[in-house]
Amino acid sequence: MLLPKFDYHEPATLEDALRLLSEMGGNARIVAGGTDLLVRMKLKVEKPSHLISLRKIPRINVIIQRENHGVSIGAAVTAGELSTNELIMERFTPIGLAAARLGAPGIRNRATIGGNLVNARPAADLSPACMVLNASLKLKRSKNEREVPVNDFFRGPGETLIEPNEMLVSIFVETPPPWSGGAYIKLGSRKTLEISMVNVAVLLTLQSQNGPIVDAKIALGAVAPTPVRAFAAEEFLIGRQPSAKLFSEAGAIGVGMCEPITDHRGTMEYRCLMIETLTSRALNQAYQDAMTWKPLPV
Amino acid sequence: MKRIIKLTINGKTIEAAVSSNQTLLQFLREDMDLTGTKHGCGLGDCGACTVILDGKAVNSCLVLAVQADGSEILTIEGLAEDGKLHPLQQAFVDKGAIQCGFCTPGMILSAKALLDEKPNPSELEIRTAISGNLCRCTGYQKIVEAIGEAAEVVRMREES
Ligand SMILES: Cc1cc2nc3c(=O)[nH]c(=O)nc-3n(C[C@H](O)[C@H](O)[C@H](O)COP(=O)(O)OP(=O)(O)OC[C@H]3O[C@@H](n4cnc5c(N)ncnc54)[C@H](O)[C@@H]3O)c2cc1C
Ligand code: FES
Ligand code: FES
Repeated sequence: MLLPKFDYHEPATLEDALRLLSEMGGNARIVAGGTDLLVRMKLKVEKPSHLISLRKIPRINVIIQRENHGVSIGAAVTAGELSTNELIMERFTPIGLAAARLGAPGIRNRATIGGNLVNARPAADLSPACMVLNASLKLKRSKNEREVPVNDFFRGPGETLIEPNEMLVSIFVETPPPWSGGAYIKLGSRKTLEISMVNVAVLLTLQSQNGPIVDAKIALGAVAPTPVRAFAAEEFLIGRQPSAKLFSEAGAIGVGMCEPITDHRGTMEYRCLMIETLTSRALNQAYQDAMTWKPLPV
Repeated sequence: MKRIIKLTINGKTIEAAVSSNQTLLQFLREDMDLTGTKHGCGLGDCGACTVILDGKAVNSCLVLAVQADGSEILTIEGLAEDGKLHPLQQAFVDKGAIQCGFCTPGMILSAKALLDEKPNPSELEIRTAISGNLCRCTGYQKIVEAIGEAAEVVRMREES
């Protein structure tokens, strides 16, 4: 399978990359890990005349802890790094777990979080995980920058708020409060290299170890043209005492949010059943995780 | 437009002119004559093209040759030392983890990347490490056993 011809650019600074991007407009694509773009170019779905690589741009591939209040994840950080980073696993659990389920090791070693978000596939693994953590995306172009909440970012399959001359530079995530716990469950017909049939990310915050739920975030992937938050189920949970029964009721409410499709990966009916089951299972797991919350060693 | 890249392949530093639309897989097979790395699907699905790039297993069909500039690459040809098979290669032979052999270079390099990071992997870690490598012949069980056995040999070699 051959790649069409293109010019390759490897700018050494972010400024140079942004300048190239604005000069070339719609003819250029950013290449991060290339695990999505190169496939689409081989399949002749896309034929950009310029590729702008992120490889040489300083610090775009690092995870930076911001004191205690959050973490900034460079757009070119790979799924492999996210899934093995202790801080991410401990405090930003849904992102770590989702990253560990993306593709297979060879893919994870290349695939970046930025590529996964900008790709905007309805079944992407990192999108729902970023949504429950209320991540904020820093988008830059030559002359200005803006911050967009990930929860507003997705517009449709492959469509986001990003403009052709903008680059996603980093993803900022606030540290969830004490007694928070997270989970991520992905259902496919096999364990790896599988685009999800349904995926669920959850973040639960308790008032105290045995206290009621003070905050709940649930996001579902592959059930609608974009990943969606299950707001009704979230509201239902807040203020209540956690229990398996409560979580299964929330799962049933979660189904109301979705418009799953029937395709070769599963029928609509099956998907609805799975949304209910997996939402409640993810809530149970996030609850276990929240109860065992502990301060990080300094 | 050709670009000059400089990289280390199996310990040897190499400078070469490549086209921007050449994949690392094409470069290794066609320009370097290292045909041990296999071309299967070309789309990241089968793992036959797996090589180790700067310590990490990657699908070389989804890496541009120009993106490997400045990197260190290990292919199946670089595994044996002084004509002696690497313990992974030997274990694959001993255990019957090879039939047609098409998946073997990729399997072995995925396993090598695992053992470099985790000398004492669990069975689950072994299965995860090769989860992006398809084998149409062996049914995987013998491959998993071979990797487990090789891990032991490597550990013993390192202790002594
Ligand atoms: C075999 C295989 C299995 C896969 N399995 C999964 C899976 O299980 N789950 C899943 O979610 N995905 C999966 N994918 C899809 C893909 O690997 C991921 O979406 C990956 O995260 C994409 O990241 P990348 O760095 O490789 O993106 P690239 O291919 O480099 O880029 C993807 C798109 O995003 C744009 N882009 C990249 N970075 C930026 C940036 N910083 N700013 C602006 N635009 C940018 C590019 O221009 C391009 O349009 C799989 C792909 C393959 C080939
Ligand atoms: S040839 Fe690269 S994964 Fe199949
Ligand atoms: S031995 Fe034939 S594909 Fe694995």
